[in-house]
Amino acid sequence: MKRWIAIAMFVLILAAVPQFLSPTGYWIRVFTFTLLFAAMAQAWNLIGGLANQLSLGHAAFFGIGAYTSTILLINFGISPWIGMFASGALGGLAALIIAIPTMRLQGHYFALATLAFGEVARVIANVWTPLTGGPGGLSVPFVPPNFAAYSFKQLLPHAYIALAALIIVTVIFEVIRRGAMGYRLRAIRENAAAAEVIGIDTTKVKLQTAVISGVLTAMLGTLFAQVAVFFDPDTAFSAASISIRVALIAIIGGVGTAAGPILGAFFIVPIEELMNDLFSSGAAGLSQLIFGVILIVVILWRPRGLVTIFEALRARLQGKGAQS
Amino acid sequence: MTSSQPLLEIKGLNAGYGGIEVLHDLDIEMHEGEFVCIIGANTAGKSTILRTISHLVPNVRGTLRFNGTDLAARTAHDIPSLGIAHVPEGRHVFPDMSVEENLMMGAFTARKATDLQQRMERIFELFPRMRERRSQLAGTLSGGEQQMVAVGRALMLQPKLLLLDEPSHGLAPKVVEEMHEAFLKIHRDGTSILLVEQNVSLALDVAARGYVLESGRVTLQGTSAELNENPAVRAAYLGI
Repeated sequence: MKRWIAIAMFVLILAAVPQFLSPTGYWIRVFTFTLLFAAMAQAWNLIGGLANQLSLGHAAFFGIGAYTSTILLINFGISPWIGMFASGALGGLAALIIAIPTMRLQGHYFALATLAFGEVARVIANVWTPLTGGPGGLSVPFVPPNFAAYSFKQLLPHAYIALAALIIVTVIFEVIRRGAMGYRLRAIRENAAAAEVIGIDTTKVKLQTAVISGVLTAMLGTLFAQVAVFFDPDTAFSAASISIRVALIAIIGGVGTAAGPILGAFFIVPIEELMNDLFSSGAAGLSQLIFGVILIVVILWRPRGLVTIFEALRARLQGKGAQS
Repeated sequence: MTSSQPLLEIKGLNAGYGGIEVLHDLDIEMHEGEFVCIIGANTAGKSTILRTISHLVPNVRGTLRFNGTDLAARTAHDIPSLGIAHVPEGRHVFPDMSVEENLMMGAFTARKATDLQQRMERIFELFPRMRERRSQLAGTLSGGEQQMVAVGRALMLQPKLLLLDEPSHGLAPKVVEEMHEAFLKIHRDGTSILLVEQNVSLALDVAARGYVLESGRVTLQGTSAELNENPAVRAAYLGI
């Protein structure tokens, strides 16, 4: 019960924040991207946290999502609300194609293989000019503001759509984690050999998880495209600023927990922006350097993620309560 | 020997990993209600036999039948639902799950069964210590207790055939004795058991019949009493 009140309070606060940010300003943009990255890290958390397969290729699904809905909008005038589902379908298909050969790999081997697939997707997007526009990138065409066309005058609706997306992805994550599929994944994670002998089809479960994760990530790519308005292959399929960042957010926040990616995103995205804001006028690369140092300190301080702060706090409070 | 259809029938089996063949032209037969052991030195291929039955070995040629069903046509995760439960070597429990959760996972393929609580009750009767530890995380248990969890988890399936891979390995003598009493009880309750053991005297103590495996070939077979008296077995494995 207490838990539900806390969750409701948190959602209300998130919903209230945009009201206090300038609707044309810089920080509402940061807030929207924070929510989108939290949702993406949550989608990644399915495969990275529940199946314990550290994917560094999620930019492939993200980019496919951004490109699919935008290409459908440019060429056929299809609303991104509908295009989003085409994005999801293609993202899921890509996840299946990548997962079939890579799922047998574990640890670093899986990470490197998925990283390579992400890069392959980026190269394809760069050279397939007739479809993607090549290195020149794509602009989301202007459509008169209207909800059905997914076009808005301000960023405020985008912020709320991103919040809704985060809630939906988090609910999907929790339902899977607590359900039969979550138990199967947990068994595979804890002891793959034992999972196999009690009759769990380990390959099938991992493939299912990869596909769900790919579908969600691609749909979030559509949302990103609508906010960003312009993107090129190197941003949408970026290994550093999409694939690794999404994994990093979940890892810093706490892998395998629903709160982890949200905490991680609200820590990493604003701090990264703030560092750029404060130090980018100084020496080149200074902001990245300071950001890197902060990440190292956090990971040394909380190797299992920022969520463990809450566990420690709760333990301390209960300890005090027991004493009094 | 009865003339009825065997529970487990292995004929002309060759199996191995990659380019390496571990088992050569193997014949093993077992009837319902039997307690059979496979003994032999390390690396003789004993575990590979069990792993082949559970479909965990990639390269397999030969006949493998269970209750008349051709196992070659099945996949690994299909095997438990046929009534074969495998306790792999090395106490494979789910460390971050409680004892109770571990047991419930064993009935994963039978999770629609309505008598899961009774099944668990029977396992608690077999291993009373599991009842005390039911909500403890399996990873925090002693080696012997983890082995009990692994065996209990296999029994949750109510298997026709229980495959035990080196269940006494690394356990204290007192716990080994406890485990073997449990195996005899499981057998009395109607489960057929195929036991793989490095500890030959222990295996021949509980099983009624045995196969001696050497470098992937069956070199001897017979009742436990016969094997116990066999000079070759005595010299090679019993150190007498």
